[in-house]
Amino acid sequence: MKISKDAVRASRLLFRACFDASGRLHTSRVKRVVKLVGDKKPRNYMAILHSFQRLVRLELEKRTAIIESVTDLSGEMRERLRVDLQKKYGEDLTLNYFINPSLIGGMRVKVGSHVWDGSVRAKLQALGESLA
Amino acid sequence: MSSILQEIETEIAGLKTSVTKSNVGVVREIGDGVAKVEGLSDAMLNEMIEFPGGLFGLALNLEETEVGCVLLGSGENIKAGDEVKTTGRLLSVPVGKGLLGRVVNTLGEPLDGKGPIKADQFYPVEKIAPGIITRKSVSVPVQTGIMSIDAMIPIGRGQRELIIGDRATGKTTIAIDTIISQAKQNKAAEQGKLSGHKPIYCIYVSIGQKQSSVARTIKILEDAGAMEYTVIVNASASDSAVSQYLAPYAGCSIGEWFMDQGQDALIVFDDLSKQAVAYRQVSLVLKRPSGREAYPGDVFYLHSRLLERAARVNENYGGGSMTALPIVETQAGDVSAYIPTNVISITDGQIFLETDLFYQGIRPAISVGLSVSRVGSAAQTKAIKKVSGTTKLDLAQFRELQAFAQFGSDLDAATKQKLDRGARIVELFKQQQYQPKSLPIMVASLYAMQKGYFDNVPVDRIRECQGKLEEYLSTRKEALMDKLGNEKTLDNVETDLKTALEDFKASWK
Repeated sequence: MKISKDAVRASRLLFRACFDASGRLHTSRVKRVVKLVGDKKPRNYMAILHSFQRLVRLELEKRTAIIESVTDLSGEMRERLRVDLQKKYGEDLTLNYFINPSLIGGMRVKVGSHVWDGSVRAKLQALGESLA
Repeated sequence: MSSILQEIETEIAGLKTSVTKSNVGVVREIGDGVAKVEGLSDAMLNEMIEFPGGLFGLALNLEETEVGCVLLGSGENIKAGDEVKTTGRLLSVPVGKGLLGRVVNTLGEPLDGKGPIKADQFYPVEKIAPGIITRKSVSVPVQTGIMSIDAMIPIGRGQRELIIGDRATGKTTIAIDTIISQAKQNKAAEQGKLSGHKPIYCIYVSIGQKQSSVARTIKILEDAGAMEYTVIVNASASDSAVSQYLAPYAGCSIGEWFMDQGQDALIVFDDLSKQAVAYRQVSLVLKRPSGREAYPGDVFYLHSRLLERAARVNENYGGGSMTALPIVETQAGDVSAYIPTNVISITDGQIFLETDLFYQGIRPAISVGLSVSRVGSAAQTKAIKKVSGTTKLDLAQFRELQAFAQFGSDLDAATKQKLDRGARIVELFKQQQYQPKSLPIMVASLYAMQKGYFDNVPVDRIRECQGKLEEYLSTRKEALMDKLGNEKTLDNVETDLKTALEDFKASWK
């Protein structure tokens, strides 16, 4: 759907209002915003909500680490990862684990748009590019 | 053999520990050669963005949650949801002497099927122009080999001289003639016939032209033996608007390399009006606000930052130079349109070509009144300066009187003499395309005109007489011409030249 500039601006204002002083997104505030907008139905409310949803999604992606590995990681390994990543990105980081055999070996960690790729697939690709 | 094994082992050991950190994004929408990418939080402005399948894009719009990327190729295989990543590199092109004689695209990839480019270095496409500390004023001429330009609108090394005119008035021809003339001089210097000549390497950037025209240009340069000193950067009409908009900058970087090596370069942008149109397209699809004639607000900066890179650098910084000959096409001779006025104000002068003159058979169709070179006279050689001092004035007076002379035939002797001289100068300045003249030949012809050797030749036979004179001088008076070409002044050769001209006049009928 086409989202107007005004709707984007309004959603951005609402989104900013969901943060507290320490720069953390409050789920309760987000819920309240969605409910209020849904009830009051201001002009372009659907567009505002869609845009708002996108901003929240991007923010949540930033607070979520996606960890891909070929085999299931051991508990100790997961703990080490959690400590390291939370030290870097803050306590409220959620970690999601996935199994992805196409990596061949190693691990790939993605937080927001940052990616640490230690997989065999990435190394092979890099090797291939350097030879080409 | 064992060393190779060791190398492989160290490579593998290096690979083992490496974890690559990258910044990725996801393509959200794609169309018109522009991809909107979500993520890419670390992207820099003008950074190259890697798309799947070896395609690259350029981050031109950095917004709060997304990045607007223009694709430097065809984006047919890119779909929404594809993962892209930053490269940390700015767009750069290969530079070096290995490019001479080659035809490349905006990214410096070969288009001529002559194998890979052997580059000395890579230069970023966008570079800041040399500053005031490194510069020097223009003092060495670029001999274009076109008599009317070298005599009246001289161009110096490091100058920016605009070639402007309607379609089909010979703008490209002037540029090509200049390139051929440089190649001839470079060759003569290599053979030791021209002392103290610093070679000029040429870069011809074609923007938004038909492939057939570019092919023709290449053929002309090859036939003239000029390709070995020339690099052609081609962003044809079928290439993406982004390549067309970036091609001049890529060409400029190739030229800058020569300048940085202390050598001289000449770059032709053919033409900047098409580049402005390509940039307008890119800006509009990126949803940037548009201004006059729908051009974006920074269209002036687009050309000023490009042409500012043409410079003459002083000896402490290598003493190189880059001369720019931008070409701009006007519509119905209107020099007051948006892009022409912009580029006129940026450059150090312009050569204005007129359709009327062209169809009167005055070719090159240079309008003497509107053409000017603001800095070139400082670079004119002594010999040319001496023989062409009053030419521009004579021609201007001739144009003025010509209007009056149409009304009646009762003219006083002085006026008649001025009219006669003017008509002869106009004839003398007519020149075949792709046949640039050498400096001594030009000096001799202009000297003959100045001293009245052509006065008793009928106007319609001037060109014939001039042709014969050139033939006579280049075959019978070779030593004199060589001396004139090397000394570049008339002081020691004037008497010899006089006798040669008298001998010729006695034999000509």
